[in-house]
Amino acid sequence: MNSSDWQPWGGGEVEMGGQQGDSTPSGRHFARPGADDPQDFRAESSPVAVLLAAAVRARDVEGKREARAVAAFLEAREQGAHPARTRRRDDWRPRGVRRARRSLRATLAALLAGLTLGGVAVAAIGVSSGGDGEGQGRAGPSSSAPERPGSTPPDSTGSSAPAPGASPSGPSDRPSQAQDTEAHCRAFEKVEGRGKAMDATAWQRLIDAAGGESRVRAYCAERLGVSGGGSERQKKDKERDTAGASSDPSTAARTTPRPGQPRKK
Amino acid sequence: MSQRGEPRRVQAYDGELGAAVARAQEGDEAAFAVAYRIVQPGLLGYLRGLVGNDAEDVASDAWLEIARDLGRFKGDGAGFRGWTATIARHRALDHLRRQKVRPRATGLESDVLDLPGAHSTYDQAMESLSTEHALELVAQLPRDQAEAVLLRVVVGLDGPSAARVLGKRPGAVRTAAHRGLKRLARLLGAEGVTDEGPRTLGESR
Repeated sequence: MNSSDWQPWGGGEVEMGGQQGDSTPSGRHFARPGADDPQDFRAESSPVAVLLAAAVRARDVEGKREARAVAAFLEAREQGAHPARTRRRDDWRPRGVRRARRSLRATLAALLAGLTLGGVAVAAIGVSSGGDGEGQGRAGPSSSAPERPGSTPPDSTGSSAPAPGASPSGPSDRPSQAQDTEAHCRAFEKVEGRGKAMDATAWQRLIDAAGGESRVRAYCAERLGVSGGGSERQKKDKERDTAGASSDPSTAARTTPRPGQPRKK
Repeated sequence: MSQRGEPRRVQAYDGELGAAVARAQEGDEAAFAVAYRIVQPGLLGYLRGLVGNDAEDVASDAWLEIARDLGRFKGDGAGFRGWTATIARHRALDHLRRQKVRPRATGLESDVLDLPGAHSTYDQAMESLSTEHALELVAQLPRDQAEAVLLRVVVGLDGPSAARVLGKRPGAVRTAAHRGLKRLARLLGAEGVTDEGPRTLGESR
């Protein structure tokens, strides 16, 4: 413990007898709160802790104040305050007991939340794929395209324009996972602050995607913002595609996949 | 400062404390007094770190609430420590809010240092001096570290309970306590060697 060899946190070396080397300073152990407690760090037995406890813990407890506390206790007893309802913050039973008692309620709540989130997600997917379906009809260089009345005969420059990138991925311009995320984000906006929804798997996934519970809001704001931009972009794509449809041959688009072998007509 | 092994005894009392609380919940005031005597030293120590010299008053307020709400409490001895620490903490934060003082463990600097009064015996002076000294060191920690250390070491809570009192994740509290103790060790160690080491440490935040 000399002052010369200290290093910034995260260096990981501990000077107090080395008992604490196992406790990582990352602070990101959500999952296993109690499990590693015995060796988490021996707060009680490090020399500093012993010194500190000895110095700071009160040695003489004042009788006068104790008497006042007991008087308050008696008063409460007389008023029948003691069989009061246990609030959540009053329940300090060991984890297992608490969990067992709550489990039924929690399970139901989680199930309900899961259904809600799932429903919203499905609904959202439905909505957005509906939109995409529309786009597909118009922009897709699919087999139906040639039959469109607006499509003009092939033109030699056409082969370069709509391009492979635009065609196959055009319809679903975002992957479905992003849609899921957005759906969750919308659901998050709805259920935010109503506790139990956070148990749902979908919620966990959202947290994972956001990189932390506290960042969900920002993440979602960004996502939904992006998706707004995305649909604008989509609109532009569509415009371009429809514009292109009049001049660009969809057949040309169909030939592009194999540029090396110009197709004969 | 003497090594008394107090924290060990903190844990050893948990069984007795749990029994006392259970009897108190059935209306036994003597048992309530027993619980008070077991819990109060650590609670007061924690409050000293938070509000300095007002700790006794804040503790009294907390005990009024504890006495009133005892029937609501569910849990064992260790749980009772956590429950009472939460109540005490809320009282302390209320107190600090009323004072419009930033809730940092620095109630000490101004007035605590001249505490050993004329009536003190030499022993008492030495003891209270060491208490102040320890609190002074704790006051140099960032608040989250100071609180984590006090809850773990002085109140005697386990990691998850301390986290619950502070409303934080166990990992964060574990880290805070760990860093706090490490820093205290450095402060204590540096004191013997040189004066320049610890000066800057308290200002990292």
